[in-house]
Amino acid sequence: MKYFGLIRANLGRNKLRTALTGGAIMLAVALVCILLTMPAGMNALLDTISSNTRISVHNKAGIVYSMPYAFTRKVRAIDGVAAAVGMTWYGGAYEEAGRVTFPNFAVEAEYVGDVYPDYKIDPQQLADFKRYRDGAIVGRQTMKKYGWKIGDRITLKSTVWPADLDVRIVGEITNERAPMLWLNREYLDEALKARGGSGLGIVGVVWVRAADPARVNAIMRTADELSRNSEAETASETEKSFFSNFFGSLQGFVTIILIVTGLVALCIVFIAANTASMAVRERSGELAVMKAMGFTRGIIFGTLFTEAVLLSSVAGFLGVGLTLGLTKLLSAAAGWNDTLGPLGAFIVTVPVIVEGIFLSLFVGMLAGFVPSWGAARKPVVQILHEVF
Amino acid sequence: MSLPLSYSIRNVSARPARSLMTAGVIALVVVACTLFLGLISSLRHTLVSSGDPLNLVVMRKGSDNDGSSQLTLEAYQAIKYFDGIARTASDEPLVSPELVVQPFFRTLDGGRENVLVRGVEPIALDVHREVHVAAGRMINPSSGEAVVGKGVMGRYQGAQLGSELQFGRQKWKVVGVLESGGSSFESEVWVDVRELANDAKRPLPYSGIRVQAISPEAMRAVRQRIDDDPRYAIEAQPETDYYAKQAESANALYLLVVGIAVLAGIGAGFGAANTMYAAVQARTAEIGTLRALGFSRGSILWSFQVEAVALAVLGFLLGAGLAVGLAELIQVLIGGVGFSARTFTTNVVTLRVSLGDLATALVLAVIIGLAGGLGPAWRAARLRPIEALRKA
Amino acid sequence: MTTALIEIRNVSRHYTRGVDEIHALDNVSLDLQAGRFVAFMGPSGSGKSTLLNLVSGIDRPSSGEVIVAGARLNDLSEDELAHWRARHVGLIFQFFNLMPVLNALDNVALPLLLTDLDKKERLRRAETALRVVGLGHRLDHYPRTLSGGEQQRVAIARAVVTDPDLIVADEPTGDLDARNAEEILTLLRQLKNEFGKTIVMVTHDPRALRFVDAALHLDKGVLLEGEAAARADEAIRLAAGGGLVGALRTA
Repeated sequence: MKYFGLIRANLGRNKLRTALTGGAIMLAVALVCILLTMPAGMNALLDTISSNTRISVHNKAGIVYSMPYAFTRKVRAIDGVAAAVGMTWYGGAYEEAGRVTFPNFAVEAEYVGDVYPDYKIDPQQLADFKRYRDGAIVGRQTMKKYGWKIGDRITLKSTVWPADLDVRIVGEITNERAPMLWLNREYLDEALKARGGSGLGIVGVVWVRAADPARVNAIMRTADELSRNSEAETASETEKSFFSNFFGSLQGFVTIILIVTGLVALCIVFIAANTASMAVRERSGELAVMKAMGFTRGIIFGTLFTEAVLLSSVAGFLGVGLTLGLTKLLSAAAGWNDTLGPLGAFIVTVPVIVEGIFLSLFVGMLAGFVPSWGAARKPVVQILHEVF
Repeated sequence: MSLPLSYSIRNVSARPARSLMTAGVIALVVVACTLFLGLISSLRHTLVSSGDPLNLVVMRKGSDNDGSSQLTLEAYQAIKYFDGIARTASDEPLVSPELVVQPFFRTLDGGRENVLVRGVEPIALDVHREVHVAAGRMINPSSGEAVVGKGVMGRYQGAQLGSELQFGRQKWKVVGVLESGGSSFESEVWVDVRELANDAKRPLPYSGIRVQAISPEAMRAVRQRIDDDPRYAIEAQPETDYYAKQAESANALYLLVVGIAVLAGIGAGFGAANTMYAAVQARTAEIGTLRALGFSRGSILWSFQVEAVALAVLGFLLGAGLAVGLAELIQVLIGGVGFSARTFTTNVVTLRVSLGDLATALVLAVIIGLAGGLGPAWRAARLRPIEALRKA
Repeated sequence: MTTALIEIRNVSRHYTRGVDEIHALDNVSLDLQAGRFVAFMGPSGSGKSTLLNLVSGIDRPSSGEVIVAGARLNDLSEDELAHWRARHVGLIFQFFNLMPVLNALDNVALPLLLTDLDKKERLRRAETALRVVGLGHRLDHYPRTLSGGEQQRVAIARAVVTDPDLIVADEPTGDLDARNAEEILTLLRQLKNEFGKTIVMVTHDPRALRFVDAALHLDKGVLLEGEAAARADEAIRLAAGGGLVGALRTA
């Protein structure tokens, strides 16, 4: 565009002001993006970690209400079930006494791989998991957090069961958003029996993979039918529903985050608008001369408007860059936090970046519109009267 | 000779539109920070205020919360008569055996949350001195009754005085409401411990025991004795420590608030600086005149800083009012804000903007004003009288 | 050929400023020939600037007709007027002529953005124009590093770079000292003599009379004719030569 030189020159007119405005917009966009990563993290988790063929079968009264282990076999036999695995919360603490820093479960080693093919666990690793009773499969996020490698031995002290376990890492879940650790239920069962207990006779959740998405509803109904009137009536739901409910209580916090985000965005508009109107006001004489020379109102509007939008957008890009840097810091510091859960992951997703850039564009347009329009519309003569 | 305050104030009111834009930016930052701060400090208050300084929390060794621990009847009976434990007027030891379960509750809009249900014996109210029955009455044992905390009431289906509340495998009749000065007990539901154990099919009757000591020294002695007991793998910690640890995870949220305050504050500071620089430019002649008249550089600097602070305070007042109003509105629209507790249950937090939060916001606003206004004030002060007059 | 380049027929211009109704021009008519260097003169508030604005198409009359270079300016819309000005008029103002953020070359090339010429051609023409006004060595200077006289010369270069029919100048020497004023007026005279440009200038400056072909006098929105005009002319000549007292004695 041939007017680009003029627009660029005008942005350099008052370098301090351009820097201050750009800096303010950059920071505000960074803040908005950081805030948005929180609910975005939750949504991303719900999208990537849940498939549309997985079902959770658990006690209707709550996850902490268990089901008899034998029930797993009955669920596995339901028509349309491709695979089913029973999982029980182990609640192991690693290094920090009494603090569970990543979810960990005792699972049926023979079946877990079939229910989670999308976790893309190496088949050899799954074979090892089945073979070695003390084996464990760990999510990549947690492996990275503690710097573990395949072959490492770690000790987990259960906060729920009276049996601590030493496990050897034999496999990795490559999905970045799955932080859990799986150990062998037989291993826990033996350990409990060794301490004089009756072993692991219960199961917490039975995860089912349906052979076909169309069969999901039927399977859920049948599972609940099977358990009706027993001591452990079940409520089956899809995996997506399970996790939505799990994090449902955080909705209130998310609302507040969004309100604060909106306020900050409004801030940006004020700042940009202030600058745009100041810039236009100081130049009224020059703009009058340009109009006198024959530049139409459309051109005047266009150059002023573009100036505002350009400043905003570049600042917005920088802000997004800042976000990427800051969130790296934040996620190292926070990670899987008790209070925040998935909101604390601070992983920047593409939608967040897009939203940040759109915000800055939109702000530039909104802030630049009124002053540019006003300047373009004023008749030359009127400006000349005011100025001269 | 220093410039009168009224000069600064009048400059702020002379250009209302520009002043309002700058004050507006600061106001928005104040609202954002105050809301977040209010929420986090309410959360923290909920966690930190829980706990009696004379109480001990007894759990199985290695458990980090009383939802995951399991204790035997024998362990309870052994501890019950230790020396140093306080007693009621009728000489009953103030020892409360409890069972914590986290069943599903249905929220009013159909969502699902885990709620901390505490199975207790009647003595629990005496041991937990901060908990009181605010309405209705305490439960009678073996009657299928429940009392709900203030935060629970009205948040879930059936959680009203006199209603039937469905959780676990049965319906419970709500006979009372508990309050505890805003602590986390208000997010709990209390029922009879035996009925709960039956409903949840727990093999062991209790998950934790709360013990009240006569004095701090006695508390230390009792704790030592419990920890050293070779028969049972149990340990004790002061109740205040127990809840303080839970508050730690809330501390990470303070980081977030600080982060927001810093980013937003710097941004607003830039915005304020922008406006002030423009003001200095517009008033160059005026400043030159003042300097020619004999006002020192220091007085000019001071005057501009006062102006900046005045704008900041104006912004604070606008923002504070808006924040308090918004907090009320949020309370009305979405009720309490839920956070995940370590027990995987919902801690209901009432968003409240306290005076402390407002004070912090005021400090933030003033800092923004001072920092943002410093550059322009410096420039104004450095204007030489002659230069300034010539520009005019 | 001596066809009238500018025809003004019974033109009046009035507007409201606040609560006052201002009559800037009252029923003015005149013809101006092409290739002439004419000055509009008169005291402040006489309407000379208003008349200039009407001639250059910046303003519209409240009544009457303005025809310049064959075009009836009354008939044109706002945007059409802008296009017309770009093609037919070159403008010089007293202040704010130049964009402070552009150097001399880019300033002069500015009006060429309204044409179809490519960048190379635009800059070439701008350089030529600057050489004509004697500033070929100052191409990359910014206005703040140019003297008042040099800035006005850049403005003149910009006014001619589009090769307009008409050059309009509003108090071009108002802000300059004696030597620079002389230079500017000489330059304008040169443009008329060497390139046949038609120049209409509003000025207070009595020295201008030496350079122009004719001076038109206005007072209170009315064009002075005959005796009144001659007397005004005389007063100005005396002021230029004999000082203020002499001028007052004749008026």
